[in-house]
Amino acid sequence: MLEKVKEIVADSLGVEVDTITAESSFQKDLGADSLDLMDMVMALEDEYGVEIPTDDLGELVTVGDVVKYIDKIEK
Amino acid sequence: MQTSITKLLGIEYPVIQGGMAWVAECHLAAAVSEAGGLGLIGAASAPGDWVREQIREVKKHTNKPFGVNIMLMSPYADEVAQILVEEEVPVVTTGAGNPEKYIAVWKEAGIKIIPVIASVALAKRMERCGADAVVAEGCEAGGHIGENTTMCLVPQVADAVNIPVIAAGGIADGRGMAAAFMLGAQGMQLGTLFVVAKESIVHENYKKSILKAKDIDTKVTGRSTGHPVRAIRNQMTKEYLKKEQEGVSFEELELLTLGGLRKAVVEGDVKTGSVMSGQIAGLVKEELTCREIIQKLTSETDALIKGAGFYE
Repeated sequence: MLEKVKEIVADSLGVEVDTITAESSFQKDLGADSLDLMDMVMALEDEYGVEIPTDDLGELVTVGDVVKYIDKIEK
Repeated sequence: MQTSITKLLGIEYPVIQGGMAWVAECHLAAAVSEAGGLGLIGAASAPGDWVREQIREVKKHTNKPFGVNIMLMSPYADEVAQILVEEEVPVVTTGAGNPEKYIAVWKEAGIKIIPVIASVALAKRMERCGADAVVAEGCEAGGHIGENTTMCLVPQVADAVNIPVIAAGGIADGRGMAAAFMLGAQGMQLGTLFVVAKESIVHENYKKSILKAKDIDTKVTGRSTGHPVRAIRNQMTKEYLKKEQEGVSFEELELLTLGGLRKAVVEGDVKTGSVMSGQIAGLVKEELTCREIIQKLTSETDALIKGAGFYE
């Protein structure tokens, strides 16, 4: 799943896929602002058919966090 | 002038006065609503008691619908969200964040919910959460702004959602309003034009700054810190932008603007205060009553749209 999430992140934030790792922080490393993050969350929701409540957004700091989060709610 | 927005809100004209901090208080809001638009109280970072008092004051001056803009980053946001329900406020607009956690309670109370958004993704999310309409605000607007312009944002949001869209940012006459209709909006929110309204309580110096502003007189501070704010250029913006370029810390930059809006609106300190204003200030040349503003706006718009002969 990491590869797919990386693709979505790259697309939403306008960064190159090969600069993204599981440890990349959206805000610190990838330069995302709140509008970028919302765009990314909506794209992730569309891709995985899940709903990510706003209250949970705080835990999604890195790309790896997103992978773990989606893995958890898909189960 | 009936549109989906006037029908949704029960107003005569699709003109909404922005919920500007310190500026949008009960007198202005009541005057706009009384004139057939929708007046808003700007709750900003004010405590609940102040907001409650303002709501009651508006109700003393008008029986027509009005609203409150809640600033979601306010430490009093939870309290204010509840007061809107208790005081039976007809409309709420939300700014500076995502109002999802309040939507169920407001819906149950029959409050019409209109989030202010600056991107397509947030507009879609707000529609999904049950928003009745959205304000798509471009970065021509004054105060805290997004990245996209009204010209680009409004049609994209209008395409992305099925709820009505209200355009904001850069509108101050019938041409702007007619243009917003063309872009797919069914309502318009205006701030700067109402700051200089006769009923507006802002300091005379603040009004003068807007009335004499030219096209190039607003500046955006804080782009580098992720908190862009548009204001009329003065000593404060000059110093801020210089320090920002030098890479001074966010905390130190914040000190320059701390309490700056109050200083400008209440004390009339337009040199070191923050004279927030939209880019359209250059077009705002006279101090009119809210009724005159709305009549002028809507009759100009009407003439343009009905007469529309653009080709030679």
